[in-house]
Amino acid sequence: MLWLCIQFPKLPLEVLTRAQREAPQICAQAVVEQQLVVDANRTAAERGVEAGLTIATACALCAGLKLLSRDVQRETQMLQQLAQWGYSFTPVVSPQAAGSLDSGDDRFACLYLELSGCLKASGGLAPLLQQLRRELRQMRISHFMGLGHSPSAARMLSQLPEHRQWLRETQTPPTPQQWRQWISFSPSKLLDCDHKTIAKLYACGIKRVSQLLAIPLSEVGSRFGRGFVEYLARLNGTRHDPVPSYAPPPEFHSELFFPSPLDNSEQLLFPTGRLVRELYQQLQRRQLYSLQLRWKLDFGQLGCKVFGVELSRPMLDPQRLIALTKLQLERIQLEQPIQALSLTCDQLLPLEQGQLDDDLFGESSQLQRSHQLLDKLRARLGHQALSGVTLKESHLPEQAWQSADTLVLQSNRSAKGHQLQPVNAPRPAWLLPRPDRLQSREHKLFYRGEIQLLQGPERIDGYWWQHSRHARDYYIARGEEGSLYWVYQDLTSEDWYLHGLYA
Amino acid sequence: MNNAENLLQNNQLAEQSKRQRLNQLLSRPDIWQAANEHRRQRSGIATGYSGLDALLAGRGWPRGATTELLVNQSGIGEFSLLLPALAAMTQREQMVVLVNPPYIPYAPALAAAGVRLEKLLILHPHGQKDALWATEQSLQSGCCGALLSWQGKQAPADKDLRRLQVAAREGDCIHFHFRPQSSAASPSPASLRLQLHSDGEQLAVQLLKQLGGQSGQRLHLARSPDLVRRDRPLH
Repeated sequence: MLWLCIQFPKLPLEVLTRAQREAPQICAQAVVEQQLVVDANRTAAERGVEAGLTIATACALCAGLKLLSRDVQRETQMLQQLAQWGYSFTPVVSPQAAGSLDSGDDRFACLYLELSGCLKASGGLAPLLQQLRRELRQMRISHFMGLGHSPSAARMLSQLPEHRQWLRETQTPPTPQQWRQWISFSPSKLLDCDHKTIAKLYACGIKRVSQLLAIPLSEVGSRFGRGFVEYLARLNGTRHDPVPSYAPPPEFHSELFFPSPLDNSEQLLFPTGRLVRELYQQLQRRQLYSLQLRWKLDFGQLGCKVFGVELSRPMLDPQRLIALTKLQLERIQLEQPIQALSLTCDQLLPLEQGQLDDDLFGESSQLQRSHQLLDKLRARLGHQALSGVTLKESHLPEQAWQSADTLVLQSNRSAKGHQLQPVNAPRPAWLLPRPDRLQSREHKLFYRGEIQLLQGPERIDGYWWQHSRHARDYYIARGEEGSLYWVYQDLTSEDWYLHGLYA
Repeated sequence: MNNAENLLQNNQLAEQSKRQRLNQLLSRPDIWQAANEHRRQRSGIATGYSGLDALLAGRGWPRGATTELLVNQSGIGEFSLLLPALAAMTQREQMVVLVNPPYIPYAPALAAAGVRLEKLLILHPHGQKDALWATEQSLQSGCCGALLSWQGKQAPADKDLRRLQVAAREGDCIHFHFRPQSSAASPSPASLRLQLHSDGEQLAVQLLKQLGGQSGQRLHLARSPDLVRRDRPLH
């Protein structure tokens, strides 16, 4: 095992100032948390501002000091990004967040990388370390590194200046002999334990780890506690040193490149099927699902085209998804030959029990079939072509309904909350999108012939407190051919309008 | 001896399979048996109008088939003719799909008629091709109780109508197809064709064609008394 520990001593500051250009005459800046300085930039440090000072002292030392408040969340995000960066070198990565100020723990944020598996691929230890350093410098993240046979050892050695010097020049990983020497050589203040224990060690006259290792373990245990003995064992390599492993956020991305560009969307069906099957294999293995798939047709230098496939319920059946994708592909006009096809799923969610409504014998329920139908219709017709209707609370007839999203419709949320009741008066089944003006001559109304008022008026007066007052008298009227109409007279303008049909 | 027994048994078996086949044939919906007319079971979906049920062969709207409603103008009660059946379907958790309705289906009126609005799906596909595709898919899916479609500017080809009829049978869905009266002259694969017009006060229904039943009858259905009650004129 070969563990590399990269510590980020200035992460709280760098997270906030990374976007700034590096200039010699930069103003003094310091990151503060709970009235204490956590970190300061070089200009401020030259004036004597350092971590642990109170704000008042720091301002007294450096008049133009700019205070930035610490953003732990951003630091965590940055550390996750760094972990992802480290993941591109080795699959065994473990990020460790900085200690919080509350618990009096002033450890820096660090990243552990297990290197033994990736030395060959990177061309040896020295080129790998060089590349790591170069990329970190490009990201403008200051760091120092240590190499050890366990994460604890790597962490301790990263703080040892002699070790860091050696690491800068070395070509080969050290032998176990060398490690042992470094560990016993290090001063005991570098041990990863609280201040009290370190004070106790110095009080006992133990200045180097070698002195500590010379004492029998049982003696150490009785003086410093069991936890300390375990830490020493992990440091020595006599005990396993587990660290939480980093797992990349669940995502799927796969691309197929076509050596001879395709110019027919039917030719895309086979590669589409292959990508969907790849996705489903991965989803099934990891027990995840995705409700949104993003397809990208790459035309090379002529740009690209992106379209999405959405599902209303999780399903692990590639055939249906291929069919949905096919519906989308049929709608697409290919103007340029396609050079590559890629499939991306940004959000893979963990599958919970009972979410998948596929039963053992593949019999689909009514609800499931209706979901499949909705998915299919949505894929070909687009979102805007599907709608539902619901009631809305309003006096105004045209506002007493609203168009509803079909997704809401199907989720079976009936008998929940209060149910709106429709108005208890005869209402027409068809409503005109906008009222149609009626002709009126000599106290007679005309709409495809003369119409006669049967019933009314029903007065609806709303929004009188606003500019657009709606004062109407509604009537039921019959036309010459026997149709029943819902008409109204606008009380402000005295014009007549047709608003609905009793179909 | 053995041979003779075998022969007898074989004959019996053949007889049985023949009867089975005959029964299968007789249970087909498109075979009309005049002799059995009196003990016919209700196989259709109740329309909600007893007079209309009595005229229809299955004592209701024919299941898994296209019903054409030929109507020239809205407002004569053509949609309320279907409402009782649609309301019953949505209450049985079946979806009702409207493809290209001519106006906005007004939610308060539908809810008052007993339709569960969350089971109603309205589609507005672009162009006839998409409309036919969506209609066929919905009919086939097996999760819709009824589908109502309105003919656009262009009349669908005979081949398309036939496909929709087959799709309705596959999905066991009632397909109500609103068409203008001008298409009454052209032949159609629909199981039931009704011509709707208004005689001034009532909705007049004429059966133009009925598979497995008589056609040519006329029926007058009164509008809801709430609507046609005449108040003392104000003007």
